[in-house]
Amino acid sequence: MIADVTALSTAIGLTQLPLLTDVTIGIARVVLDGLSKAALFVLIASGLSLIFGLMGILNFAHGSLTMIGAYLGGVVMVVTVTSDTAGPTRLLLFFLAIAAVFGALTAFGAAMERTIIRPIYDRAPLFQILLTFGVVLVLDELVRIIVEFRGLQPQSDWQAAIGTAPDSLSTWYDVAGVSIRGLYLFEIAIGAAVVAAIYLFLTRTRYGLYIRAGSEDPEMTQALGIDIRRAFTVVFGIGAGLAGVAGVMLMWDPRYGASVPLGVETLLIGFIVVIIGGLGSFKGTVVASLLAGGTDATMTWVFQNHVPFPGLPEMVLFVVLVGVLIVRPQGLFGLAEVGGH
Amino acid sequence: MTLLRLDNVHASYGQSTVLQGVSLEIEAGEVVALIGRNGVGKTTTIRSILGLTPPSSGTVQFRDGDITGMETHDIAQRGIGWVPEDRRMFSNLTVDENIRIATPNPANVPDAFETAYSTFPELTEHRKKPAGDLSGGQQQMVAIARGLVGDNDLLLVDEPSEGLAPLIVDAVAEAIETVSQEATVLLVEQNFPLAMELADRYYLLAHGTVVDSGSTEGVSRDDEMIRRHLSA
Amino acid sequence: MDPTDDRPTESVDKTHDRRGAPIDRPTSARDTALRYAETHISHVAVVFAFVLYPVVYSFLLGTPLGDEFAVLLPRIRTMIAVLYLGLFAMSFDFISGYTGYLSFGHAMFYGTGAYLVVMAANGKLPIVSPETPFFVLLLVAAALAGVLALAVGAVSFRLSGVYFAMITLGFAEVLHVFIQNWDRVSDNPRDGAAVTSPDGFELGVPGIDGLTFEIGRLVGDSVENAFGLGIDLSSAELSYYLIGAVVLVCYFALQRIIHSPFGRVLIAIRENEERARAVGYHTFFYKMGAFAIAGAFAAIAGGLYAGYRRSVAPESTFDLFVTADALLASIIGGFGTLAGPLYGHLFHETLSGILSTDSDGLARYLRETIPQSVLEAELVGIEVLRLVNVLIDGRAELYLGMIFILFVLFVPRGLLGSVRDRLGGTVSEVVAMRVRQWRKNR
Repeated sequence: MIADVTALSTAIGLTQLPLLTDVTIGIARVVLDGLSKAALFVLIASGLSLIFGLMGILNFAHGSLTMIGAYLGGVVMVVTVTSDTAGPTRLLLFFLAIAAVFGALTAFGAAMERTIIRPIYDRAPLFQILLTFGVVLVLDELVRIIVEFRGLQPQSDWQAAIGTAPDSLSTWYDVAGVSIRGLYLFEIAIGAAVVAAIYLFLTRTRYGLYIRAGSEDPEMTQALGIDIRRAFTVVFGIGAGLAGVAGVMLMWDPRYGASVPLGVETLLIGFIVVIIGGLGSFKGTVVASLLAGGTDATMTWVFQNHVPFPGLPEMVLFVVLVGVLIVRPQGLFGLAEVGGH
Repeated sequence: MTLLRLDNVHASYGQSTVLQGVSLEIEAGEVVALIGRNGVGKTTTIRSILGLTPPSSGTVQFRDGDITGMETHDIAQRGIGWVPEDRRMFSNLTVDENIRIATPNPANVPDAFETAYSTFPELTEHRKKPAGDLSGGQQQMVAIARGLVGDNDLLLVDEPSEGLAPLIVDAVAEAIETVSQEATVLLVEQNFPLAMELADRYYLLAHGTVVDSGSTEGVSRDDEMIRRHLSA
Repeated sequence: MDPTDDRPTESVDKTHDRRGAPIDRPTSARDTALRYAETHISHVAVVFAFVLYPVVYSFLLGTPLGDEFAVLLPRIRTMIAVLYLGLFAMSFDFISGYTGYLSFGHAMFYGTGAYLVVMAANGKLPIVSPETPFFVLLLVAAALAGVLALAVGAVSFRLSGVYFAMITLGFAEVLHVFIQNWDRVSDNPRDGAAVTSPDGFELGVPGIDGLTFEIGRLVGDSVENAFGLGIDLSSAELSYYLIGAVVLVCYFALQRIIHSPFGRVLIAIRENEERARAVGYHTFFYKMGAFAIAGAFAAIAGGLYAGYRRSVAPESTFDLFVTADALLASIIGGFGTLAGPLYGHLFHETLSGILSTDSDGLARYLRETIPQSVLEAELVGIEVLRLVNVLIDGRAELYLGMIFILFVLFVPRGLLGSVRDRLGGTVSEVVAMRVRQWRKNR
């Protein structure tokens, strides 16, 4: 009998049964990792969510904008940081990089909306997917050209940029019996700050009011004298800017790092999160980020300890996506009628 | 003074033409009813005025300016308000926010709250609730209040009594009467006696064009034209 | 969307054509045969052009302008890719262009076909033995992908629009990640797998030894003095013809389906699904059928790819950018035209060939022909040589992306769709009409 169980557990990949102390440490590990993942996911997805919410456009170029943000942020850091630069100064420069990249990509997004997105609002949703996908092809290739021109390898992470992070972030800290990298704690803080900023923008500013109203009923919003087209431009710009902010954060993270494939990688994460949360619901995006971050961390832990299949976390995320679409096509917090887009 | 003038307005949704030459005039201060059966183009007339369904031909003049083909938000900013069919609440926004977004100048929001909640005291206790949680009658009040606080000279009111209990209809009718003291009103209403009671004049629409018009004074359902084009 | 396509509602009138002109009925069996031939004149012409291409290509390369032609014209090897990726793009167009449901995970069917062929040949699969003939493998791949499409479709067709695109992409990514990590594929599944046996896959007339040949890069057969006609075929040329024959058969099969009542329902679904349902069609089953067919042909395309290349890798099969290739081909060639995607992909490969880093790419040609002094000169502060390297060498994807955006914005009907609009009908119809008039007036 015992031999049978062993054979069975080996067959399904269970190498050992976990002990109780392992479990508590495992939970703490998963919670912390999950939060840091969730913070990155919400950074990646929030711009995508805002844009879809107001305009019904699923911006395929979002991941590419994140990737460009990572490179631009890296440029700012690599140019300004020398080996003598102190930790706090590096953090200050990092926030400067975030501001600069947010500004640059917001302008870029607004210009993109005015020139190529605007002419296709009246066409079938298919064309919006196609057009933004075309932008992916062009942006990825342009970045590849410039990066190669500068003598960098576009496929692998930009190590020099990762190296500009202050030492305090690569140190490991002990939290609840689990040692965690300073960077991951920093990411949790940045993610929370960005969520708070977007929440305040949506609920406390007049433009946020326009966006929430426009997401529900663009016609009625226009009939109240609000120029919804201008709101489209602004939101598309802000969405692009947020994609860039996510990129700057990922530039420091050795699990991601600035590289051309980062674009598609983050795009797929963004889709998963936004669709699980419900297209167009910011609350849904935040909740889905936590759910996806938790799932990712749990599966990473399961992979490291029990099931030797490296693709497990990623695959399970997609399985969750497919599952949610089957059970609740509009997502956790989405409005049912958006499903027609 | 003529506030609004439609001249031979045609409009269509894709292939199907709905308006086939609608002409009408509204004087400042009037309440004008637009009556007719379902599907004759009453709502489309309103949508054409607002530029939501832009006229394919014909002109719309507001005050002394031609507003045909202008963007909806430009038309709205000139002082035309809309109290749409089905009320079209921003259901996730609170009642306060529904009023706030309808107020063109942010500085006037406190005044707008004052206007809205003195007109509809019943709404006061629901100010912080999402508008989607209100009853149908309360939502209609919010819809009218939105039109009221928007500095509008002309209000386009579409089917305000639809789907409401008789008692609530009285309240809504009263509200429209109050509103009409401040603004000119174009009213689309299925409830014929109510329309005649509220309006000074009427236009009768059939097959996308005006077939009859006149004062509401002494008009009855039995009049030849009205019976032919209104009764089912 | 496509005014030239047959509409189900308009096929009732048998005496007038769609444009209201009276249809003159055939008067004899000979007349019927002639008419049939006429409608296929353009098809025959296209097939002929593809058949003659290797001959024309090698002739032009022998002329004094040979170097230039080598840069501009796709190589035979490239043309083989045009064929199987063209078929893949057609299968994508079959579901997405005709029903309007964007199959954003279409690469999963292509990958299924490709991996099935390689893994079967390496003896890694149950039931399918390594000795299975190649064309049987293609059929097994088609069946398997058809079943996969039914499974994916059963879930996905509950959704539409962006959601359908996303859920199919989700399925494809699950399989993508799975295949990257499935250690049965090879020792290093991230890099894919190669066929271990030295023998090429065989294509030809089944059962007749003399008419069956091995295809494949490096291992394919070559023929001297074919059929005693004095024609020598290199291994690339032979693979080109054999794969071309399979693609041709697939094209005609797809074309028959599109022109059948089943195909008309698909178009009706694209135009207005509500109406199609109201008329009484059970649209769900039609969409499922179309998806299974599209998946099956995509798997055949993937099988041909694997059969010729003899190796598979995750990024060239299950990847999102493989679906993107079909998308590019369909949009440039003409969405909802079936044949268009083949031309779209021909355009893609031609441009890639011109801008490639290979020996007959434009960049190398320029480096060899432009005088050294010019190459070293500076233009806007950058060396000309460097500009050539950065802007031309292997940059096809950049320009293709730009062309793709311009097509989406300004030529949404694509090349073939626009030609049909201009002519007022499909090319084969218009050619047939012109020929018939010419015959009458003679």
